[in-house]
Amino acid sequence: MQFYLFGDLIVLPTDVIAAWVSVIIGAPLVLYWFTKKRYWPVVWDFATSTNHRKIGMLYIIFALLFFFRAGIDALFIRMQLVTAENEFWVFQGDKYNEIFTTHGTMMIFFVAMPLLIGLMNVAVPLQIGANDLAFPFLNAIGFYLFLTGGMIFFAAFFFNAAPNAGWTAYAPLSTYEFTSGPNNNYYIFGLQVSGLGTIFAAINMIVTILRLRAPGLKLTRMPLFPWASLITSFLILVAFPVLAIALLLLQFDRFYGATFFIGEMGHPVYWQHLFWIFGHPEVYILALPAFGIFSDIISNFSRKNVFGYTSMVIALALIGLLGFMVWAHHMFTVGLGPFANTFFAITTMMIAVPTGIKVFNWLFTMRRGVIRLQTPMLFALGFIPTFVMGGVTGVMLASAAADMQYHDTYFVVAHFHYVIIGSTVLGAFAGLYYWYPKMTGKVLDDKLGKWHFWLFLIGFHLTFFPQHLAGLNGMPRRVYDYTWEDGVFVYNFISTIGAFLMGASMLFVLWNIYKTHRTKEENVGPDPWDGRTLEWSVPSPVPEHPFEKMPVIDRRDALWWAKQEGRSLPVADHPRASPIAVRTVQPLVLSAALTILSFGFIYGWVWMQILGGAASLGFFLLRAFNDERTEAYRKEEQDDE
Amino acid sequence: MKKLAMMAVLLVLSGCNLRVLDPKSQTASDQAFLIYLSFGIMMFVVLVVTVLFIGFTWKYRETEKNRYDTPKHEEGNRTLEIIWTVLPIILLIGLAIPTVMITYDVSDIGATSDETLHVNVTGEQFRWTFEYENGKQTHKNLVLPVDQEVVLHLTSNDVIHSFWVPKLGGKIDVLPGEENQMKITPNEEGTYQGKCAEYCGTLHTDMRFDTEVVDQEEFQQWLEE
Amino acid sequence: MNSKTMSKDLFGDKRMGFFIYLFVEAVMFATLFATYLIYTPAPQGPHPSEVFEVKTVVLASIFLLLSSGTLMIAEKGLDRRNIKMILTGLLITFTFGAIFMYFEVHEFYTFVTEGHTISTNNFLSSFYVLVGLHASHVLFGLFWMIVLLIQRKLLPYNLFKEKHKIFNYYWHFVDIIWVGILIIVYIPYLI
Repeated sequence: MQFYLFGDLIVLPTDVIAAWVSVIIGAPLVLYWFTKKRYWPVVWDFATSTNHRKIGMLYIIFALLFFFRAGIDALFIRMQLVTAENEFWVFQGDKYNEIFTTHGTMMIFFVAMPLLIGLMNVAVPLQIGANDLAFPFLNAIGFYLFLTGGMIFFAAFFFNAAPNAGWTAYAPLSTYEFTSGPNNNYYIFGLQVSGLGTIFAAINMIVTILRLRAPGLKLTRMPLFPWASLITSFLILVAFPVLAIALLLLQFDRFYGATFFIGEMGHPVYWQHLFWIFGHPEVYILALPAFGIFSDIISNFSRKNVFGYTSMVIALALIGLLGFMVWAHHMFTVGLGPFANTFFAITTMMIAVPTGIKVFNWLFTMRRGVIRLQTPMLFALGFIPTFVMGGVTGVMLASAAADMQYHDTYFVVAHFHYVIIGSTVLGAFAGLYYWYPKMTGKVLDDKLGKWHFWLFLIGFHLTFFPQHLAGLNGMPRRVYDYTWEDGVFVYNFISTIGAFLMGASMLFVLWNIYKTHRTKEENVGPDPWDGRTLEWSVPSPVPEHPFEKMPVIDRRDALWWAKQEGRSLPVADHPRASPIAVRTVQPLVLSAALTILSFGFIYGWVWMQILGGAASLGFFLLRAFNDERTEAYRKEEQDDE
Repeated sequence: MKKLAMMAVLLVLSGCNLRVLDPKSQTASDQAFLIYLSFGIMMFVVLVVTVLFIGFTWKYRETEKNRYDTPKHEEGNRTLEIIWTVLPIILLIGLAIPTVMITYDVSDIGATSDETLHVNVTGEQFRWTFEYENGKQTHKNLVLPVDQEVVLHLTSNDVIHSFWVPKLGGKIDVLPGEENQMKITPNEEGTYQGKCAEYCGTLHTDMRFDTEVVDQEEFQQWLEE
Repeated sequence: MNSKTMSKDLFGDKRMGFFIYLFVEAVMFATLFATYLIYTPAPQGPHPSEVFEVKTVVLASIFLLLSSGTLMIAEKGLDRRNIKMILTGLLITFTFGAIFMYFEVHEFYTFVTEGHTISTNNFLSSFYVLVGLHASHVLFGLFWMIVLLIQRKLLPYNLFKEKHKIFNYYWHFVDIIWVGILIIVYIPYLI
């Protein structure tokens, strides 16, 4: 759309107009609905809480919101590619580039990560007998950093400036010389802010798992989801700071005339190294927690303990470790030379071994069990073959010389959707259905859950299986068009049908949640799945500080054995102190400050940078003199005297 | 339903001449061999997992009979665990050895004789430039003589591109400020699609070219035009 | 709950959390060190040995490294609950930190006036990002010390002690990074 305003020609793409219109119509409706239903006290309660369950739920709610946004992007992509020489709406050229960049970045950083971190928040403390995460206040900060980063990234589209250099933001394309608009500044600051939040979440998780376990719950007795969370958190500690510095260097290239990745002195390949030193562990950061979820669910719904527990833990650790030694397999075509290429090919293949161990252990956990096919277990069962297919294409891709054919084609697109959706997304769904009672006290409808599962799984394979073939037939990724002679129409057409099936399946999730909460059904009680781990010993939804009577753990799956023997878990006499909760709006202050700061940088307004910087420092002052522990410590000192 | 069946047939048919698996040079043949080999090994893995998966899910599903059973506790099984650790290692070694050999082969980019044809390839947003030794330049088509060794010298004027002719071999990135080389010997005449495979900006999609492999005489003629 | 162990338990959590955070910072600095090593010396533009000035580096180092020592006075005072020692230690550390900052600013200012800016070459780009990030850490530390001085009056002693200890770890860490900078950035081009 074009029009003249005060003599200037204003060009507004219709997709941006549509977005604004839907917000302007939608926002008042939502506000009205919240007011009518009297939800505001609940919203306020969640927004100012530091309770791990509430923050976990917030993570999941916003991740699902972003999931729908990025999912709609995916449908636009599929619409543009549905047939050869197609022109769907505005999604050609730059608009298409913006939409696949947004889809990828958002799905990884603002959907997959927070879904998993949200589930960790809800489940991990309960599984290890902790009354909350070690640093409840920091947990709230971490969440708000994620939300702020996500919203900054989300907002880009509304100002017609969505990032457009791909989620990998390869230099020099991502530098000022080639993409001079504010677009990729949104990318930098969205990731920088949310990345800091992820680091805080990881620190919190590690300290919680290492120091707040119930008495007797040795690391070797811990369920596998906390184990996976622990190892994942260590991966985050190494991977995310590297990303932070890579983004910082890119920022210096874009804003201040440095030439790290551009020009005669710059090395564009250095960006790729930094990005993948972060990026490959990131893949395992997404996969490992899902592995943990599946281990717990498969064991629970087979009514059997995990087969080969020790090798499961070792495999997790090995995958994490090897994850740092394989980054250059994303760069086989850069010209690093045959020595580097074969080295990284072999390390990559080695990862298949611990992964295979896990798959067989899952299968043998099911053997001789009693398999209940309820929704969480269905997702776990769907995961095994799907993920194995992604895994084997992974080994095929590891073969360096062959990868020169697959690299940057739809074969790769198919592969990483198989592994990431296969593990992370199916895992998050499984976890969502599994722990929903812990969050809300209700079980999601099983029948609708099965509809969701089957539609999603069938849609998924329809979408991504043909893409292997499209890739082998020479279709590069990130193209918005192909010709009839390319011979990839059929694959793309099937792909688009599948994508819409996946989209439809997500409507069942909404319907399910609506249906579950419409009726005032009774609380399902603490243990709806006949669970094995500690979270099923506390009420649903879980109250604050549920372990006032701290259980003593004497073996793995202690709750299960106690139930079998008809006794309750013994209670500890002198448990350690619990973290102190607080009701606080300070994270909101930080969120506002960082939003100002980020927009100051994105649009290069120095006064706003100064304002945002001062506000951020102000937050530190605010926090320094408002510590929730002041009262408790004062009381302790008085008791001492 | 009928349409779906048609689709399935089309899908299978079009699978037979996928460009990557229809090699027209030694490099591409080697790579296709690796693809087939890894695919074969991996299908074996998929088969084993699928059989176990379907078998266990079916056999141990909850029924009226076993609904209230409590399965026996089972820590693990040393022998089984050793089997599924060692067997994949053996399979992977079987894949790793040819991978290393072929990776070294395709990375050998030195010209073997004075006969070798050298072409400078320059990528820029959003077109290719092919420059021959006599100074002749083209943008839309890369013309090569059949059965003659060609060394491409690739560099970029702006962002990173990637040079890819699926039927002639894997891709190689085209970097600004650096020269990458690629050696190919096309062994069959024909016209093959070429594309930019590294996302390079607005019109990345349109950065395509045709590779025409012709016989020696025709090539000389064309070169002197 | 046994309230006597509370501050001990919670401080243990916090210390571990903060050490992990320092590890994260260490990874960031390690990445910047790697960047510096890759780009230095640059193929064109000034060589580091033409740019660096021995006197500033030595003086800055002396004051920053000494400040880690003077912070020990405050640490001793913290355990003995001796307010005078705490204040003396903090004030001297603050002064030394501020002097270090003076030399840093002086160094950057001299470089820029000599025409060695961030866009001159890649050696200078990576130098400014690395040393600049460190300097901003020192600056934040100075700010933190002022906050600590106020916190002493307002917070219960155990909480103040905890916060002070956390600051000590931070300051020593920043010092260790400076040693790294000396070894990797300056010394190879000054000897």
